[in-house]
Amino acid sequence: MADLSDGAAALSPRLVVDVQKRLPGLDLRVRLEVGSEILVLFGPSGAGKTTTLNMIAGLVAPDVGSIALDGRLLWRKGGPGRDVAVPSRQRRVGYVFQHYALFPHLTALENVAYPLQAARQGRKARAQAMALLEQMHLGHLADRYPHQLSGGQQQRVAIARALAANPAVLLLDEPFSALDVALRERLQEELRALQRERALPVIYVTHRLEDALAIADRLAVLADGQVQQSGPIAQVVAQPVNGRVAQVMGLRNLFQAQVVAVTPEHTLLDWGGATIAAPPQPVAVGEGVTVYVPPEAVKILYPGRPVPGFLRQNAMKGVLLSTVEHRGRRQWRVLLENGYEVELQAPSRAYVGLGLAVADPVQVSFWKDAVVVLRPAGGAG
Amino acid sequence: MNWDALRLSLLVTAVATALMVAVGLPLSLLLARRRFRGQTLVETLVTLPLVLPPTVVGYYLLVLLGRNGPLVRWFDVQVLFTWLAAALASAVVGLPLLVQAARAAFAGVDRSLENAARTLGSSELEVFWRVTLPLARRGILAGLVMASARALGEFGATLMVAGSIPGRTQTLPLAIYDAVQSRDYAQANLLVAVTTALALLSLWAVRCVEASRDPAQRGG
Repeated sequence: MADLSDGAAALSPRLVVDVQKRLPGLDLRVRLEVGSEILVLFGPSGAGKTTTLNMIAGLVAPDVGSIALDGRLLWRKGGPGRDVAVPSRQRRVGYVFQHYALFPHLTALENVAYPLQAARQGRKARAQAMALLEQMHLGHLADRYPHQLSGGQQQRVAIARALAANPAVLLLDEPFSALDVALRERLQEELRALQRERALPVIYVTHRLEDALAIADRLAVLADGQVQQSGPIAQVVAQPVNGRVAQVMGLRNLFQAQVVAVTPEHTLLDWGGATIAAPPQPVAVGEGVTVYVPPEAVKILYPGRPVPGFLRQNAMKGVLLSTVEHRGRRQWRVLLENGYEVELQAPSRAYVGLGLAVADPVQVSFWKDAVVVLRPAGGAG
Repeated sequence: MNWDALRLSLLVTAVATALMVAVGLPLSLLLARRRFRGQTLVETLVTLPLVLPPTVVGYYLLVLLGRNGPLVRWFDVQVLFTWLAAALASAVVGLPLLVQAARAAFAGVDRSLENAARTLGSSELEVFWRVTLPLARRGILAGLVMASARALGEFGATLMVAGSIPGRTQTLPLAIYDAVQSRDYAQANLLVAVTTALALLSLWAVRCVEASRDPAQRGG
């Protein structure tokens, strides 16, 4: 039911950005169109991601270009017609800052009520703020100050506060970067649910591929001051338009595979003759999918030792091709029996006991839960 | 007990404090947040009374407020040898203490908090009242107490511009000097005790402000 309406809404852009800004050492030219969807703005640090958000929010002025939200001009200069510069407070842009930027002198509830009081909604503000906090499962922490909250709780308060202003678009700057994996996954799920419920355009800035894969409807890759490529995430990872995109995204261990079985426990994939297990996915048997195996999720097995449970399913034989050390981490490339090359990464001290040399035979395994399955473009991911 | 001196001292200090807040806070915010031409000059001028002998500050004020000064010539406002001149002198001497503290306090407020307030619908004035000022409050209050205490104890510059007219411009420090000069040690002891009590009270107030919950404290 949601699929159709979501798909249709995503087609019509609601936020249209076309701006240029000259920064020290960077010539930023950003063109973006965002519908009622989560667009991940992906790029290395220093690529201008935060500056882009700041320009949309009205905290930084571009040099030339225009920004429009739901057909209303927020900013324009150097184009046809008169210049427009709507101040931040009138833009209806919800912004979740990288370090949350919660007001330290206000409680969680007062933080969330802040924009409601600004709108002079008086006593209703507290009730409304409380409802938002409860929606974020934070009702019991309403009277705590930000420094008394954990990182994940602060993040939720920041999102609730941004939503309290009833924004027409939501910007998130590296929102979950400081949180641990389990919490990050839960918050990402909550964010997806919120986005769907409110049909909000969301721009989610990150430099982590895992975050992008987990949450993006569409992906825009920002590098060298320009949006190099944008499109459905499966399309961008499967077909990077240029080498820069592939390099920036750190695309390694991306493979084409075919679904052979789907059970409540796992998805089984045929990958060039080898069978690998991935977490359960809403995919159909026979469907062609793109598989991403994070280099950290590839492990070398010690011969003769019992294999840990979580690695038992995806064990494969191969030959060590090369190994490089960089800043305390080591990278290995292994040619597998099925003809594919995989890359794995671990702290340098790992596997020292194996005394591995290039051309040695090795056994590797993929940690099942970390294997990411991407459906072809157009799917609901 | 010379009640007039106490009354005048409190009046002069109160008015001087109001003047310092009115001039000092906008100036501190400006110095903390903007880079402008002549900034160093402004900073130096504001800080100068801290290092100049009070009599020199008093002399400058005398010239400024005197018969050929701009205040009399342009506005026909005569304040010399009134309690208002004493308040003005106290404010000039106390101002650097407030500006130094308030400037550091404003500079310590995270800009992204102000930006967050802007995206949440606040005008610049609201941002100041609801975010910047509450977060800088502690530093400003501490500086304000120090500046007021300095204003209360002001002697040299006040003597130059307001004289020591009992009941009209003679504040506590001047009355103490007067009492000692006329060998009225009983009176001097009393006035010294009252002044010391006021000074202790303000130091205690600074302590309280510093011990209060730090709104800028950040954890996690």
